[in-house]
Amino acid sequence: MCREPDLDIYDVLLRDFPFLLKGLGVAVVLLVALLLIGFVLGMAICLLQLYGPRTLLVQWPLKVYERVFRGVPIIIMLFIFYYGVSGIYDISAFAAAVLAMGLRSAAYQSQIFRSAFQSVPAGQMMAARAMGMSKIKAIRHIVFPQSARHAIGPWTNEFSSEIKETSLAYVIGVVELTRQAHYIITSTQGNVLMVFAVVALLYFVLNRAGNSLLYAFERKLAVPGFEK
Amino acid sequence: MIMKGMTTRLLCSATLAAATLAGTGLATSAHAQDPYTVGVEASFPPWAYVESGEFKGIAIDAMTAIAEEMGVEIEFQDMPFPSLIPALAAEKIDILATGLTVTEERSQAIDFTIPWWETNDVVLVPEDSDANVFTAVCCGARIGVQGGSSQQAWMQENVVDNDIDVELARYDSYVTAVDDMAIGRISSVIVDDTSAQEYINAGKPVRMAGKIYIRAPLALAVSKGDPQEILGSLNQGIMAIHESGQWQQIVDQYIPGVVPPPIPGHMPDFVDTYDKPVAGIPTLGNE
Repeated sequence: MCREPDLDIYDVLLRDFPFLLKGLGVAVVLLVALLLIGFVLGMAICLLQLYGPRTLLVQWPLKVYERVFRGVPIIIMLFIFYYGVSGIYDISAFAAAVLAMGLRSAAYQSQIFRSAFQSVPAGQMMAARAMGMSKIKAIRHIVFPQSARHAIGPWTNEFSSEIKETSLAYVIGVVELTRQAHYIITSTQGNVLMVFAVVALLYFVLNRAGNSLLYAFERKLAVPGFEK
Repeated sequence: MIMKGMTTRLLCSATLAAATLAGTGLATSAHAQDPYTVGVEASFPPWAYVESGEFKGIAIDAMTAIAEEMGVEIEFQDMPFPSLIPALAAEKIDILATGLTVTEERSQAIDFTIPWWETNDVVLVPEDSDANVFTAVCCGARIGVQGGSSQQAWMQENVVDNDIDVELARYDSYVTAVDDMAIGRISSVIVDDTSAQEYINAGKPVRMAGKIYIRAPLALAVSKGDPQEILGSLNQGIMAIHESGQWQQIVDQYIPGVVPPPIPGHMPDFVDTYDKPVAGIPTLGNE
């Protein structure tokens, strides 16, 4: 056999650890890209839903978008974006994954932001307007800063679930952490439990690190004695 | 004041986000004219797998040799097996090179090269099981196959649809199926003989209960209608590495001691690309 059957799984894991880290890197880039799309688009949807024109022409498509992207399994979305879009535009597997997951995250994030904005008492807006602030100014200086504090908690949920969903991108050929783990499992003919335990640990560490940063940010934004 | 600063910072990062997005190069294409993209399922030893970040396997080495013969550049793209044929049909990849069995259904979606291998299926059972090929495939047994594989199709058509009381368990990969059999969730696994030998060589606690002689040809494939016009040179490349002895060498490296079946192998007449004249080798083909 040309493979080295003498190496035990610990040696193999040690030798191939850089490739697991490379897979983790791909997962992180995918995660950051999809969260950014989700943030920008989700914020825009939220602002339009709350403060945009109330005509059906604007509100109805936003609602349909949000319902569709929240209601379809991500694995289906990945296939639709990879195979469906390629009829119009020759999209790479990674770009398809970023788009499918980013657009879906936007739907979720828009609802996180909407509930955060709505948790700010309506009187605040009225008071700001009464003081002569324009609507945009009032949103920016009065409502947004307060809602940002409320949004971080639910947003850590979105962050955590998206990390784990990046592992689905392998179905369209994105070689991320889970796929790299498959490589080790198949080339050593087994060791499913051991390899996935290491992979689980890597996901967990990434998740904890991200959440710790978010919690630190939450503490930083907290106003002592306010809303306690 | 504090709040104002924060708002500006957040809005700033949002703008930055948009700018970064514009620059992520969403236009990168996996489908450039040159090099050709070769789709593989890299969790399918000995045909294709990854070891220390490098593609290895019979299909990988042979495809590299054929590309050299053709004078073209190739790059490998790994995908799970169930995604490969759709990707080829959608022209996301140009060539499919894995242990791919020629079937009538597949030949309607993709175009096959001449067969370069022939497999028979094997019934794998746990080492300590005393089942034979008949007792393993009957009487309420749960049998593992890889989803979308030719083994699944064969079992469905010849066993399940014939009212034999068995249940098929579909797996993402054969390695998981074999491991599941060790736990006892399924009682046997139907897999091709080449892979079965791999598992036994690797020291898995399994044995072959028996063979099912289906003489299934394996081949490379290109998108239906051969839009890149490479089917002819692929066929010539396969013949060339066979005649030069390179093929025997590659096979020997991965499955020592095995005698490769003759090339071209048995060409089923339901495959339209096997009608005479075969692309690139006009003397071959079914009349």
